[in-house]
Amino acid sequence: MNVFVNEQTLEIAPDCNIEELLEALDKPLQGTAVAVNQNILSRSLWSDYSLQEGDHISLFQAIAGG
Amino acid sequence: MLTDSEMLRYSRHLLLEDVGELGQKDLKNGKVLIIGMGGLGSPAAMYLAAAGVGSLVLCDFDCLEVSNLQRQIGYQTGDIGGDKVELMKHRLEMINPEIRVRSINKEMAEEQLLMELMMVNLVLDCTDNMASRQMINAACVKAKVPLIVGAAIRLEGQLMFFDHSQADSACYHCLFPNSDEQALNCSNSGVLGPVVGTIGTMQALEAIKHLVGLPSGIKNKLKLFDGKTLDWQTFAVKKDPECSVCGKNR
Ligand SMILES: [Zn+2]
Repeated sequence: MNVFVNEQTLEIAPDCNIEELLEALDKPLQGTAVAVNQNILSRSLWSDYSLQEGDHISLFQAIAGG
Repeated sequence: MLTDSEMLRYSRHLLLEDVGELGQKDLKNGKVLIIGMGGLGSPAAMYLAAAGVGSLVLCDFDCLEVSNLQRQIGYQTGDIGGDKVELMKHRLEMINPEIRVRSINKEMAEEQLLMELMMVNLVLDCTDNMASRQMINAACVKAKVPLIVGAAIRLEGQLMFFDHSQADSACYHCLFPNSDEQALNCSNSGVLGPVVGTIGTMQALEAIKHLVGLPSGIKNKLKLFDGKTLDWQTFAVKKDPECSVCGKNR
């Protein structure tokens, strides 16, 4: 099935969760924030959330600068 | 009551239905702690001073360096080597002698920060590192003081508002739980002045709105600013029940 990761289409296995997605993308689990369809998903929910067809996933890093 | 000179100075606020004389009095009674006097804190502090926020507390422990001047617009070349908080205090008093400005020229430990929080209505996090951000967030959760967080790097900005006076508010730690990470900062990645200035200006805007009682559109939201496209993205942040700072097990 297809999802969008930072606006890029990506084909993933059905019932893939966020943690598996980050591992597949080789993204660090530490320091990454994840939003699904414009809602931030808490770190504690990453392994529970099964991605759905057409989900928009946004991945980004904390910025500390100022 | 506003004095005659205040009526003149703030006449463009008084013309606004959303501020008016009542709002201006709210600003006059406002007490805001601004932590970090760099690229975010410069415009934030100057706008709040100009707007007539009655009491500003500035905190920083850095001296001004020449490499700060590319973005920290509150300072001048002749200021290099001076303490940022003292320079900014002077600058704000020049902008608006009607307000009171106090400077804290050191990095506050949690205990002192908690004391300071008892005396303010609002905190702006304008710092430049993850450890300070986590510490300020935890203290604001504890003291139930609203917190407006800004951050910027390269051509990207982040803005959030956590109203810790509300029990169901999310917090910075719900969003970014890993305090030990190597988060991006200006000295390791570079930043464009107007990008960090935009975020600091937005912090001031949200602060003014909060003080005059206007609703904020960004509570429990993360706004991402893209300086290349000028697009803003908005994400909802929910309280994480497992959050070690604001959750049930704290
Ligand atoms: Zn939290």
